[in-house]
Amino acid sequence: DESTTATATKFDFKSYMSDKASLINRSLDLAVPPSHPDRIHEAMRYSLLAGGKRVRPILCLAAYELLSTDPDASAAIPAALSIEMIHTMSLVHDDLPCMDDDSLRRGRPTCHVAFGEPLAVLAGDALLALAFHHLSSATPAPAPLVLRSVAELSRCVGSRGLVAGQVVDIESTGASAAPSLEHLEYIHVHKTAALLEAAVVLGAILAGGTDEQIEKLRKFARCIGLLFQVVDDILDVTKSSQELGKTAGKDLVTDKTTYPKLMGLERSREFAGELLRDAKEQLAEFDAEKAAPLLHLADYIAYRQK
Amino acid sequence: SSSSSSSFDLRSYWTTLLTQVNSSLSSAVPVVFPDSIHLSMRHSLLSPAAKRAPPVLCIAAACDLLGSPLPAALPTACALEMVHSASLVHDDLPCMDASPLRRGRPSTHSLFGPALAVLAGDALFPLAFHHIISQTPASLVPPSALLAVISEISRAVGSTGMAAGQCLDLTTTSSSCSDDILEIVDKKFGEMAECSAACGGIIGGGTEEEVGRLRKYGRAVGVLYQLVDDVLMEEANGTTMRSNGSVVRAVGMERALEMVEELRETAKRELDEGFGDRYGDGLMPLYSFVDYAVERGFDA
Repeated sequence: DESTTATATKFDFKSYMSDKASLINRSLDLAVPPSHPDRIHEAMRYSLLAGGKRVRPILCLAAYELLSTDPDASAAIPAALSIEMIHTMSLVHDDLPCMDDDSLRRGRPTCHVAFGEPLAVLAGDALLALAFHHLSSATPAPAPLVLRSVAELSRCVGSRGLVAGQVVDIESTGASAAPSLEHLEYIHVHKTAALLEAAVVLGAILAGGTDEQIEKLRKFARCIGLLFQVVDDILDVTKSSQELGKTAGKDLVTDKTTYPKLMGLERSREFAGELLRDAKEQLAEFDAEKAAPLLHLADYIAYRQK
Repeated sequence: SSSSSSSFDLRSYWTTLLTQVNSSLSSAVPVVFPDSIHLSMRHSLLSPAAKRAPPVLCIAAACDLLGSPLPAALPTACALEMVHSASLVHDDLPCMDASPLRRGRPSTHSLFGPALAVLAGDALFPLAFHHIISQTPASLVPPSALLAVISEISRAVGSTGMAAGQCLDLTTTSSSCSDDILEIVDKKFGEMAECSAACGGIIGGGTEEEVGRLRKYGRAVGVLYQLVDDVLMEEANGTTMRSNGSVVRAVGMERALEMVEELRETAKRELDEGFGDRYGDGLMPLYSFVDYAVERGFDA
């Protein structure tokens, strides 16, 4: 059986990620079937089913599995999907001409290019609504836990969370004074880490975790969220375009504030190391086997090459 | 037979509720860092000319009809207005209706720019849900009811509700058929009113049948209100703001007026059959909304 295999062999992170991603993709497809009106659902599916590693929903499932005695994480799937829906809608709105004005995402035309701006706005809105609808109506857990999850998600994606990060980021662009470290951290904590935090905390809440366990996982998520950005900044400086798969050195050319620019490359690497250690420390008290996915995810974020 | 609502002081009722709703909404969005987003959210939400129909419908159902105390329904009522405002902010965007004004003031994107307007709408949706959960006294409303309300609101604004109506409206032309026009009105306006009344029913602890009646009542009132808007516009100057989407354009004035009466009757019938003999005076606010929608005057 599964648990015996896990102890007997090394944890196969690659298969774990691939299996979970397939599960998420299948579930997303079912959660947003083609419906009337056609165009809005096409636009929603176009953006949602665009591929990707599905790190956020997988984090949600992994956090649930860490704390739950359930044989599988199916109870956390609606929550996992809701996180990915919100992630997707934030990208759709971010890409709009009046925002970042991006016409390509992962080599494909962005939603507004493919469907027009009005539909992109509406598809984003509809995905946001669906995230909450799905979480609140499809989660097989006691109502108080589901309610707590909804409260957590709404806090993380609102004007004190994800949106706050986006606003501060927009307002930093072209600002005359160079942003400080605190400023940079604020943007990353809110724009990136908040949703990772929501993913992990939702999984923990639904698994019936104690407040203490939930807070450890919250801290874990904040560490890896920031770690992700620091590593991103380091990679931009150190890798070639070919290795990265996107334009390298872009940060140097633009005015974008980065960790290497603010604290130097060596200190940035040190900082990344500290964040990784902090993250793993949060999981120290949990069963090593059950924590394996989350620990491997942290390593993956730290040591990835692109 | 239907009771008359002419003796009910709708104006005072509405004005009193307005004060409470507005005060609650203002407290719900304090200006904290980042200031700009909260200022834009406040601008979207706190417009002096706002009618606040969704909150008033909700409270009339939960409190006047079903007897819940105001604190039980007020957070949900405010949440309804938050999502309503969010949809209006996005509606006004340059790439959508491109409205420079809303309710007699500059639209949010005119004052704050389109980027902040997009984000203000994006922030108001989750705030609505957070508001319901954090502000509804746990002793007054069970968690299952709050979850039902959240599920209801998120469905009503989504891809089969208001957003669907907006999507369909993108392709209306002067030659759109009447069925399409009516579907758009149904989704853009009927959906929100149905949702508001239904949420009131859920908060008030109504039975499944009672909530079903409130849904039908709400939908009828929502569509009725827009229909009368179209009629009044057509009568006033022969054009409507929503010319292509005008029901009068689609079905003709005679049929439009017939529909007004049919909807008026439907709304009242749902109330009478669902609640008439047991709830008496508690029905008055909901009843008088129907006549107000048609006659647009406050009696007494």
